[in-house]
Parts: sequence; structure tokens; C-alpha cells
Amino acid sequence: MKALPFLAAGIVIVLVWQLLVSITKPDKAILPPPLDVARTFIHLASDGELAVHTAYSLARVFAAWLLSAAIAIPLGLLMGSSRRLDHIISPFIELFRPISPLAWIPMAILWFGIGESGKIFVVFIGTFFPILLSTVVGAKGVDPVLLHAGRIFGCTTRTALFRRVVVPAALPSIVVGLRVAFGTGWAAIIAAELVAAHSGLGYLIANGMDILRADQVLVGMITIGLLGFLFDTLFRAMQARFGRSAA
Amino acid sequence: MTTGTQEKTKSGKPLSIRDLTKVYETRSGERVEAMARLSFDVAAGEFLVVVGPSGCGKSTLLQILAGILEPTGGSIHVSGESITGPSLDRSMIFQSYALFPWLSVLENVEFGLKRKSISRDEQRSIALHYLQLVGLSDFAHKSIDELSGGMKQRVAIARAFAVNPSILLMDEPFGALDALTRRFLQRELLRIWQEQQRTVVFITHSVSEAIYLADRILVMSARPGRIRAEWRLDSPRPRDVTSVEHRQLETEIYALLDEEVTRTFA
Repeated sequence: MKALPFLAAGIVIVLVWQLLVSITKPDKAILPPPLDVARTFIHLASDGELAVHTAYSLARVFAAWLLSAAIAIPLGLLMGSSRRLDHIISPFIELFRPISPLAWIPMAILWFGIGESGKIFVVFIGTFFPILLSTVVGAKGVDPVLLHAGRIFGCTTRTALFRRVVVPAALPSIVVGLRVAFGTGWAAIIAAELVAAHSGLGYLIANGMDILRADQVLVGMITIGLLGFLFDTLFRAMQARFGRSAA
Repeated sequence: MTTGTQEKTKSGKPLSIRDLTKVYETRSGERVEAMARLSFDVAAGEFLVVVGPSGCGKSTLLQILAGILEPTGGSIHVSGESITGPSLDRSMIFQSYALFPWLSVLENVEFGLKRKSISRDEQRSIALHYLQLVGLSDFAHKSIDELSGGMKQRVAIARAFAVNPSILLMDEPFGALDALTRRFLQRELLRIWQEQQRTVVFITHSVSEAIYLADRILVMSARPGRIRAEWRLDSPRPRDVTSVEHRQLETEIYALLDEEVTRTFA
């Protein structure tokens, strides 16, 4: 990926922001100038607070995302290769899927309190469906002629065919699901931390609002944006590696 | 090249098809007869080409011969033994190549060799031997996406021969290729077949391709597929398909096929 256009866009955003501040001269508690935010950023970064919050948010997302993957990938592969299983499970999936992970936050607090498990639960909801659906699509979309070739060239059991043809053929689609899920999971954790947390980037933002520190809110937002972008870029690179046959 | 580790190369086996019937049931419950009481024999080492109009059940026939599709009735025997499912003894070359895009060229050729009875090194040397046979030694570690259509089909040919089958099934293998590549691969296939003498059942739409390749040509009727006519070709290879004799045969076969196609649309 070319870095230059993104750098240029970043500079334009900061310039427009500065321009807006210079023209409208808002209260610093409403919209601080970029330089103030940069100062706060450096301050929070150097005293380690930003790193701690970032680590909390990332750890929660990774835990939930891995948990989702561990359940959704095998389930999706099975659903994608067994029509009967797909018929039985799909209705449940389709009924739960439209409920946003954010709508689960109150229930998560009721059930798990404001500890780690509640937040992981919310992110799990947010990451499970994208991984499951793209795995199902990948497994269903395996070219039948490849299945024929697999059977003719020595996959005598269903398990062998599954392992040597279905799984690798579905892999590009699974990687897409993992990438999309990380994005939705990243959004969900911030929301969960806004409501019920004493740590994490979401908490940093919520706390900034409580103490009327818009600069702190913006530092949180910028960190969320940069990290989200960084991980998406990383996953795209992974996709380019595994995604040779991606649709 | 290491040929010392090769498995002993088999020769072709005879194939006997008796009263083969395939009936599909469509979603609306309608019964479609793809083929009805189809019977023919293929001699050991023979190059049989089957031509027929679209939808005459040629591909269905090949899938049944491969053992990946159950016939509704009838029997298939290889050297007198009834077939029960797919086997590496009957390998296949597909029109769409059917290579595994997540594997390298070499790994594709090795795919069918992954059996306990063959050591890792031996698998590699067999695969390399067949890659050399199709002239792709230099491409062993390339990815499939980097190859042209003709090269992909050569990999598929190497994969099909590498498992040392006694019968090779080919489903319009050159149908998706341009005319020049097609001619080249027809020559290559004949060369390899003459070296290895496997039994071949080759399906095509192209009458001139059939004349160029076949020991014997079967013409299938429109659905339900039956044997409509049969020609034995004795002229020496490589054949000149533009010779008077071959032109005449081509005209004859086309006349028959035209009749069948007309029946399909009637």
C-alpha cells in the first residue's frame, strides 16, 4: 500500500481542523486546536496512560476475536459442507444476527457485571457473525470441479476431502471474515468501554467527556482510528498472501 | 532426471460398460434420462474418443466412469473388476483444469501421490519427472495463477499421469484453449500417450480433434445418450486432418451430429 496518499489526507484533515478553529474560535472545551491535542497526546503517551488503555482495549478485542474464530470457523465449515446442518442452524443465526452487539451491552452488564467477561461477550457477538458468514460462504463456494478432482486424486474419505480441498479453498474467504470481524470488534469494544469500564480507549473517551476534556476525547478517537487503520492494513497484507483465489 | 525411483509403469486396462443408465430427478420431480442402456468396450491401451451433441450425457458418462457419480443402472468393469468408487487407477483431466490454486505447480502434481506407500522424496521425484515430461520443470515452484491456460492444462496432464493410472478420462480437456495451443497440446498428449500406453476415454465437441487423436470414435445420440455410430481409424500418426480421406470422415460425422442436434431442438 502506498503511504503517501494517506499521509496527505492526514495533513489535509489537520489543516481543515486548524482552519475551523481559527475561523470559529470555539471554546477549548468544545474543539481544541490540533496543537493542544498533540500536546495532550504526547503527555498521555509519555506517562504510559495511553499505552495502558490501548493494551486493555486490544487485549479484549483479541481475546474475543480469537474466541469467535475458534467457534465460528469450524462451525462455518461444517455448515458450508452439510446442507442439513445449515438448514438447522441458519434460522438461529439469522434471528440473532440483526441484533447489534451494542444492543447486548445492557444484558452483558446484567449478566457479567462490568468485569472483563461482559466486554469480551459484547465483542464476541460483534465478531462472531462476520467470521461465521464468510466461512460458510467460502465453504459453500468451493468449485464442485475441485471437489471432483480431490476425490479422483485420492481423497477417499469425507475428512480427507474436507482437510485437503474444502478448508484451503475456503481460506481466502475466511481471512476476509477475520479482517471484517476485527473492524466490527474494534468498534464494539469502544462502545462497551464507553458504558461500562475503568480502562480502555473507550473509557479514556468517556472519562474525557465527564471531566470536559475534549482534547483527551480527541486523543482517544485518533488512537482508535490509527490502530483500526493499522490492523486493517495488516490484515489486507495477510489477505494478499492467502487470498490468491479469493472471490 | 531420476527415473530409478519410479513405480513400475502400468499399461492400460480394458474397460467394459454394460447397460449404463442414468436418470436425474429435477427439482419439480421430473425424470430426465441422461443415458439409456449404454454399452461399449474399450480395449487395453486404446485411445477412444466420444463425440456427441451438448447435453447427450458425455460428461455424466465420464463422471460415472471416474466413480464420482452413481449410475442408476448398469455396470462398469475394469479388467473384469466392477468399480465401486473413485480410484487413482482412473484419473481425469478436466476442461477447467481443476488445479488447486493454493498449491504450487509441483504440489498440484504431487496431490495424488500422497499415500503412505510412497516416501516424500519419491513423491517429489515422480512429480518432477512428469513435469519434465510436459516441459514445465522450470515452473515447478510457480503458483498456478502465474500460468497460461495451456500451461495449466499441461500441469493437469502431469497430475493425471503421475498417479500411474491404467485409465485416463478426459473431459473436453482442450475445449477452453485457443486453436494453436490446442494443436500443440494434442501433439503433446499423443506423444505422452504413445510413450505410456494407457487406456484413454476422451470427450470432445471437435470432430477434427477426434480424428487427429482417436484409435476409435464413438458418436453419441442426443439425450438419452446411446451409441449412434462408430469408426475405427487406422491411419498412422501424426495425422493430417486436412487430407481428403479425413475430410470425408469429418463430413460424415458432422452429418450424423447435425441430425442429433436437430433432434435436440425439435
